Amino acid sequence: MSRKLLETESPEWVRKGIITPEQQEQLLALYPHEERVVGLLPLLGSLLLGLSALSVVAANWQGLPEWLRLLLLLGSMGGAYAGGEYFLRRRNESLGMGLIGLGLILFGCGIILTSQMYQLIGYDATGLLAWVLAGTALTYLYRSRSIFILTACIGGIVQGYSTGQLGGFSYFTAALTVWGLGYYWWRRPDGLLGTVLATGLLWQAGLLVGHLHAKITWFFIPAMLIYAAGDWQADRPAARGLQTPPIAAAFLFTLGLALYGEADTYAGMLRPPFLAYIGALLLVLGLSLAGKYRRGRLGSATDWLLLLPGFYLHGGLALAIATLVVLYAYSGSVLWRAHQENNADRVTLGTVLFILTTMVAYFKLTWAFMDKSLFFLLGGALLLGLSWYLRRRNVQALSAKQPK
Amino acid sequence: MDTFPTFFTRRRLLGLAIAAQMLFILAVAGAGYATTALGRTIVLRTTPVDPRDLLYGDYVRLNYSISQVKPELWHGSEAPKKAQPVYVLLQPANGVYEAAGVYATEPAAAPEQAILRGWVTDSWRRGIRLRYNLERYYVPENTGLRLEKSATRRPLLVRVSVAPWGQARITQVGEVGR
Repeated sequence: MSRKLLETESPEWVRKGIITPEQQEQLLALYPHEERVVGLLPLLGSLLLGLSALSVVAANWQGLPEWLRLLLLLGSMGGAYAGGEYFLRRRNESLGMGLIGLGLILFGCGIILTSQMYQLIGYDATGLLAWVLAGTALTYLYRSRSIFILTACIGGIVQGYSTGQLGGFSYFTAALTVWGLGYYWWRRPDGLLGTVLATGLLWQAGLLVGHLHAKITWFFIPAMLIYAAGDWQADRPAARGLQTPPIAAAFLFTLGLALYGEADTYAGMLRPPFLAYIGALLLVLGLSLAGKYRRGRLGSATDWLLLLPGFYLHGGLALAIATLVVLYAYSGSVLWRAHQENNADRVTLGTVLFILTTMVAYFKLTWAFMDKSLFFLLGGALLLGLSWYLRRRNVQALSAKQPK
Repeated sequence: MDTFPTFFTRRRLLGLAIAAQMLFILAVAGAGYATTALGRTIVLRTTPVDPRDLLYGDYVRLNYSISQVKPELWHGSEAPKKAQPVYVLLQPANGVYEAAGVYATEPAAAPEQAILRGWVTDSWRRGIRLRYNLERYYVPENTGLRLEKSATRRPLLVRVSVAPWGQARITQVGEVGR
């Protein structure tokens, strides 16, 4: 609770007799005034000074002698790290970690500018791999969430550069992200970091699939491996954080299949060799189910509905309808589980997924033969009715479970 | 993980991590000097470019005679793919090096030949376009205009150092006869 809220609300509480004026004073004393504004001015001032110094250096960069340029690069990086340590020791966490993050960014800039200075050509991502390595080391040393996020982003950038510019996938960068950041997350489970890590890994997995010119459905093997890792994680919110990106990707893919799967050319682009793909998928499914069983979460096995490989069907419209049935089953299972867990956020999520599926189904099944104005009228009425009904049900279900 | 062994205190590890980063940047600079010192110098010829196209802020764009090669020079089991890394075998002829073959894997080179690494940017029936990442030369202050003037009259000669470990860097860009 913030002091501001307390200051505005507490007179009303006193008036209603909820708390006494003495208690109000005691409560206010618990939240002293923060001296934030004072710290802001010097920060802005130093930011401006830093920017002016940066523009002077940038304007004269080519004209400076090499040794001075090197010294500037090393000095600014060392200065940022030293400054960060200084502020961290004075318990100024945000400024301290900000400077450490700046130091890490300056390290990457240093590598790039130095190799540019000597006209060196990068043939592989080795030089930039050092950047990811430094980020990983600092993540462990500072145990900082912001450095973790920064390192995950750096890993994604390095991998993007490696596959895009250098024509090779950097397996070291991928391994470093999986084992370095993955192990950190495993030991210090965290929902947000799980989502960031999974997103970074999915990005790299996508780049790998593109680099190998493989069918895009292979993407779901590494994606579901990430998901399965979440099943073995004991910390439930952290596991959910890690599992959200792969499941979101699978949901969007299935939604796309419902929309475009009717054309066999699209479904044909998705079909990897049957035995290899199904074998790999079943292996990951086994891993995931074992984890779910171990942690007592077998109920969430319905997530795997989205991975049903419907694209092997040559059904045309039948494939689209089968996919819609899967989507309904999935969003229904999310809603049902949310009610079981009495979790309002998950209920909202399930509702959104349900409505999205209904929109796609409606679009798919009626667009071709219905007059356009009737199409929108009926569609709007259907969605409004559906959301009203779902909301009413949610309110009823949640209030029935509230302790009296 | 929460307790570090006695010698490797958190402070020492932190110092080590930052010192390693500084050393790495110095090593990159060292690689630049080592490439010149230990590498052999080859001379490449640029093809004339539109002078308005040459100078870009603080670097010039160079287009080499070996930037586009005939498809007969390709040696690989499959057709060259876009963005594929390749090895280009260079043969000296009249003082400059010209492409003698483009390989998917590193070929053996005769003593007078040199190998430069590059990437396929485009491949069609009549040619293969290659990129060496030597196409940008960051010019020292105030020399860009002089280069630009000379490049309109005749092709530039570019001296490139190629280290034994394959690293290449431009050491000099100049006119013919300089």
